[in-house]
Amino acid sequence: MAKMDKKWVVLCSTAVAAVYATGYFITETEAVIQPSLQQNQVNTLTNQMSTGSNSETSRTAVTANEVKSTDKVQQTSVYRDGVYEGIGSNRRGSIQVTVTIQKDKITDVEISQFAMHYSEQDVVNMPDEVMNKQSAQVNNVSGATYSTEAFSSAVQDALDQARNT
Amino acid sequence: MDTVVDIQVVTGSETSSLSESVVSKIDRAFNAFRHVEQACSRFSSDSELMKACTQIAIPVGISPFLFEPLKLALDMAEWTKGVFDPTIGKMMEMHGFNRHYLTQRRMNSFVAETVNYQDIVLDEFNHTLMLRRPLVIDLGAVAKGFAIDLAAQELQGFDGFVVNAGGDIYAGGLNERGEPWEIGIQHPEHKGEVICSLTLSNEAACTSGSYERRSAITDDIHHLIDPVTGHSPKEWVSSTVIAPYAMMADVFSSAVMLLGMEDGRKLIHLADVRAILITSDLQLIREGGVWK
Repeated sequence: MAKMDKKWVVLCSTAVAAVYATGYFITETEAVIQPSLQQNQVNTLTNQMSTGSNSETSRTAVTANEVKSTDKVQQTSVYRDGVYEGIGSNRRGSIQVTVTIQKDKITDVEISQFAMHYSEQDVVNMPDEVMNKQSAQVNNVSGATYSTEAFSSAVQDALDQARNT
Repeated sequence: MDTVVDIQVVTGSETSSLSESVVSKIDRAFNAFRHVEQACSRFSSDSELMKACTQIAIPVGISPFLFEPLKLALDMAEWTKGVFDPTIGKMMEMHGFNRHYLTQRRMNSFVAETVNYQDIVLDEFNHTLMLRRPLVIDLGAVAKGFAIDLAAQELQGFDGFVVNAGGDIYAGGLNERGEPWEIGIQHPEHKGEVICSLTLSNEAACTSGSYERRSAITDDIHHLIDPVTGHSPKEWVSSTVIAPYAMMADVFSSAVMLLGMEDGRKLIHLADVRAILITSDLQLIREGGVWK
């Protein structure tokens, strides 16, 4: 079979161009949420954003505006407004989160307590360290989806408490 | 997307103040992820994808944020004769991959008994999608890569930048020391450890691994499932593909996992990409292209 390298590259470049051709980015006028910025280096900016779930190992808080609500269609309110604490755990320990809810939207999620136990081997290279590293040495790891299990069950715990029954 | 997105840019200036244009470019890069998620998520019923899929046998107009990744997924489905198949969505739901990462709400979609990628019809002229039968489309192997490519497009003006979406990475230009970016490959067995590393400039690296996102319901099932056998592939524990586009690296790394040893390698050579493959006994195999 003939080589098909060009085919896939062309497909991808066409895909990116198609978005621009229709003017989606250029005419973007919606009130866009500003992710919080943090500066890590003199000339390198690291801007951490989570589209929702945060890593159990990184302690970066998910700030309010980075969390989208998907409950727009709701007629009656599912959750009561307020601030709720949730706890999630797995075999490595527990994690506590504070979830703020306003009008059925999760407006803030913060990791309030972090008590995960890691084996020595894991602690040495905790993704937390990697992300806070001040140099551009191996701080990008392909294939490492930060585990979100304990975090998401903590959020679920908080949401269960907020549920309007 | 249930993933941490990290963007780094090299501004080339010595000052610590961030100009507005730098901030707005980074904002636009992050917005690419929001746009693609709103278009392609199968976890929320108000995404463009899930809304479009409520119409059966009727062509529905869709935006390029959905059309383009879907087209690439269908091309790969055709090439692999359905080993890679975006209609795997229902099977994923049944194995517990059906919960929205924020609302925790589970999807349980109605679908026809047996479906495959040929039940999806894309019209390139009118930019419409038509389903022949009810099914759930999963764009997990292309949507993130596409968002990374759009984000990278927004960051082209910088001397260097890295877009890292949960381990799928595009590295543009050079790092702050004027060198290619160093990218680690996750060790399949030791979380937080790197098994090897490589340097990249103006290229993407995406890794599919059987060690991540395992089914909570079914043993031996992870997020990659062969639609014909209903099982998860085992020949590779991890496949990293390096390609000019993240969407390409993304779909290839998934396809190579699904195709297994022989056909996976064949695909890499035909497409002229590079790959680092890891066998179940942790052997590293470098395939394709030129390795320094």
